Amino acid sequence: MALALPAPLRVNAASARPGRRWMVAWLLLAPSLVLLALFTYGPILRVLHESLYGSPLPGQAAPFLGLDNYARLLGDPAFRNAAWNTALYAFWTILPGMGLGLVLALALEATSRVSSVLRAVFFFPTLVPLVAAASIFVFLFLPGIGLLDRYLALIGIRGPNWLGDPDVALYAIIGLTVWKNAGYYMLFFLAGLQQVQQDLYDAATIDGAGVLARLRHVTLPALRPTMAFVFVIALVNVLVAVDHVFVLTKGGPSGTTDLILFFIYRQAHENHDLGFAAAATVVSVAVLLLISGLGIETLERGLRKEEGA
Amino acid sequence: MTRLTPRARLGLVLTGALAILWIVPFWWMAVAALRPAAVPVLEMGSLLPSWPPSLSSLADAWDSADFPVYYLNTTVMVLGILAVQLVTVTLAAYAFARLRFKGERVVFYAFLLQLLLVPPIFIVPNLITVVDLGLYDRLLGVMAPYFVSAFGTFLLRQTFRRIPVELEEAARLDGAGLLMLLRHVYLPLSIPALVAFSIVSVTSHWNEFLWPLMVVNSPDRQVLTVGLASFTQNAESASDWSVMAAGTLLVVLPLLVAFLAFQRRFVNSFVFSGLK
Amino acid sequence: MARLTSLLSAATVAACLALPASAGAATAIDFFFPVPVDGKLAKEMQRLVKLFNEEHPEIQVTPAYTGNYDETKIKAQAAAAAGKPPAVVLMSANFVYELALQDQILPLDPMIEADGTSKDAFMEDFWPALHKNAEFNGHVWAVPYHNSTPLLYYNTDHFQEVGLDPDQPPVTWQDWVDAAKKLTVRDGDQVERYGLTMSGSYDMLGWTMSALTMSNGGLYYNPDWGGEVYYDTPSMLGALTLWDDLIHKHKVTPEGVVDNKGVSSSFLAGQTSMVILSTGSLSFIRENMEGHYKVAFVPKNVRNAVAIGGASLVMFKGATEEQQQAGWTFANWLTTPENLGSWSRFTGYFAPRQSSYALPEMQQFLDENPDAAVALDQLRFAQPWFATYNTVAVRKALEDEVQAVLSGTKKPKEALEAAQANADAIMKPFVDSTALALPN
Repeated sequence: MALALPAPLRVNAASARPGRRWMVAWLLLAPSLVLLALFTYGPILRVLHESLYGSPLPGQAAPFLGLDNYARLLGDPAFRNAAWNTALYAFWTILPGMGLGLVLALALEATSRVSSVLRAVFFFPTLVPLVAAASIFVFLFLPGIGLLDRYLALIGIRGPNWLGDPDVALYAIIGLTVWKNAGYYMLFFLAGLQQVQQDLYDAATIDGAGVLARLRHVTLPALRPTMAFVFVIALVNVLVAVDHVFVLTKGGPSGTTDLILFFIYRQAHENHDLGFAAAATVVSVAVLLLISGLGIETLERGLRKEEGA
Repeated sequence: MTRLTPRARLGLVLTGALAILWIVPFWWMAVAALRPAAVPVLEMGSLLPSWPPSLSSLADAWDSADFPVYYLNTTVMVLGILAVQLVTVTLAAYAFARLRFKGERVVFYAFLLQLLLVPPIFIVPNLITVVDLGLYDRLLGVMAPYFVSAFGTFLLRQTFRRIPVELEEAARLDGAGLLMLLRHVYLPLSIPALVAFSIVSVTSHWNEFLWPLMVVNSPDRQVLTVGLASFTQNAESASDWSVMAAGTLLVVLPLLVAFLAFQRRFVNSFVFSGLK
Repeated sequence: MARLTSLLSAATVAACLALPASAGAATAIDFFFPVPVDGKLAKEMQRLVKLFNEEHPEIQVTPAYTGNYDETKIKAQAAAAAGKPPAVVLMSANFVYELALQDQILPLDPMIEADGTSKDAFMEDFWPALHKNAEFNGHVWAVPYHNSTPLLYYNTDHFQEVGLDPDQPPVTWQDWVDAAKKLTVRDGDQVERYGLTMSGSYDMLGWTMSALTMSNGGLYYNPDWGGEVYYDTPSMLGALTLWDDLIHKHKVTPEGVVDNKGVSSSFLAGQTSMVILSTGSLSFIRENMEGHYKVAFVPKNVRNAVAIGGASLVMFKGATEEQQQAGWTFANWLTTPENLGSWSRFTGYFAPRQSSYALPEMQQFLDENPDAAVALDQLRFAQPWFATYNTVAVRKALEDEVQAVLSGTKKPKEALEAAQANADAIMKPFVDSTALALPN
């Protein structure tokens, strides 16, 4: 698995005749590139172009603004709020989600009847549409009546207004996200763990390394590429998977669950400010591309290291 | 089956406890969907099933949308996407895995962009493209933007890289062309990765909502999540939790059942997809 | 690969099957509709369209269910931008104004006049409160289809229990607060039952605030020109202070944001004794609380007034002449007094035509459902629904600040000043290009 990667790549690739190799390569990539041109690059160019224009007033053409939209964006408190919320959301979903995924993978690595049932259970939430998961959680979070409050009351705890308290709402949504994604990440880590070579373990055991030492010196370093991959996947999720916010809070209360994609959506469809929305898209995608690029680089470096080894 | 150390046993017990927490929302959904209509709302939060269970909410939910048609459309959509993806992904993955060419790195990063830019972000430009291609109000129009998958390309590229080049050379000596090579050498050795990718692809597109809503008009071409929205999106009404749970159950049930049926094989394929 | 190929061909076959079954030379049009109340509405609407198509073989209407009101607007605008404008759309009535501003929908009066009617005669049958959301800037832009108002629901068992007369609902804000205090049940510091709960989630919050403000003599927005809202006003301040007091002073309303589903569920569960909900919730509450609840007007401080809500049929620009004609025929068919009446009985919404209520089946329905009759009485006091330049953003400018008050992080006065400033900033481009665009 990508993420899992390893298996040394001592062999040098490709036996096609060198002269024709690039032609073959482009030919093989052509179907994908045509589709990407239609549905990814085309729209990007359009958005880049749009981001230079203001919103047209009734009966007029859109005015050319140059980089004004970008300047406005960086000074916009609502955008900063959304960016900050997204950072919080990213931190608290990616870190616990990946951590939990890793712990689960370690706990369920050995195949037994019990562990395969448990693996299935943790993977279940991944199968549920985010819209559907959210509609179930609407009830779980319902103040006073919902599942959470009902059972918390049994142990004498009065739950907060989960989705209606500005201090809590984002964390309620984070909880749902971790529930939904941890099992997904677990599978990648399970795959990654298979790559850790047994002889490394054995050597470490002979050296007298305990469980934690083996984890620290053998398992975790070997999982680096997997982590980089999962990190990229998780990061992408943070930006694009926000259906649950639509269903649960629509960015409220008082904008405390307003995430970047939501901000873009509001600018485009509520304010009808396409240029501004486009600028926000460009900036967010650039930032994400940068961060996930770093993740991919880590992944590739890990690969090359193994190749060289 | 491995013998478990006490420590591993403890680990299993703790994970088991967590698993119970994880399953609660599903349990609640099933229990709520089977509640009789007369159960007061205060009881809806209970995890104890009502006895005898009632099918009335499920029947209500089933009646409110054309579920058989939605199931069919959704199935056609996810399998259609997957079928084309498997082709594009295999070809691209081979190029990235085995062929060195100028601009490889740039193209590789260009693929990465697709991960970040899913169709719902670009509703209007993508819809224009779909209309231009004559695919508006067609399932094919819903599928087209997903025909290429950066995720799948990455995944398969890594798998291909680990296949010994000697196998390829042997096949070439036997006169195999590139397509034969892929079909007889690379793909058979990548089944676990292909299965893993298929599951991820099917699950995520099964869950697609906004994009199908934008492309499709005709009721007979609508997909499941759009039917689900009629339970979850109603703005002005009060909420019938039992019917909502039943509707949600109807949408997720096929995937859950399929997953349970194949779970061993599926999880294993994830686990072994990294092995040679 | 064999499997791959068969999958591929399956997809191709499916794609071919999906080709439209075009009925000869019939004019094909799209009709987009949201489902704001109940999943079953989608099926009923499809049934109606099928009936229309059978009665009109020369027209082929495709009914597209389009999610909620917001998604319907996005889909319609995206489809129009992509060159596939829907002929007829059931649109949230307060989006009509901005769609007209953006030049995306057709004025309907030319078609009304072509039918040999004047636009005044055409509008006359619709309830007066509906006119401003359908007719402005000298044109008719929309045909009202179904409507609602906020309504006070109260638990008659609780009323009896605390010695209030279930037949004497609170009429003034003073009555209302007194009743809420009596109805609240406490256990030490903990509130076991709240006297009153109102929805604080987006959309419903703006609507509820407009009802309170209007009941306090205010206006909320300028119904004749979309560049002004009146957030920082005494009538709004009084309304928001009332709500703030209910939560933080009298402690008879839960703190924070409770959404629509939370409000209705806590009312059904007996955890709150009074709620403000849409008349659209009436059928559901009736089914679940038969005999244990009653409805009343939203209480007043200065006058009885609530904003009307609901949806209207609009026609998008860009369709062919034939499609426009077909769309108009369809819109007229949907809005006959009989069809509006039967839709009203099915959904629980008001029928926008007064003549629908003259039909015997409607009279009978009202006799059988006195709560629906109360809701109908309140229509006499209804006001137009707020609609401005960029309605949703301007509404949210208020809602975000009101939510801060409900959560106890802001005081009403500062919240309203901030809301006014934010709303003014959103409307500035429009204001600059209209009211402040002065002769040189």
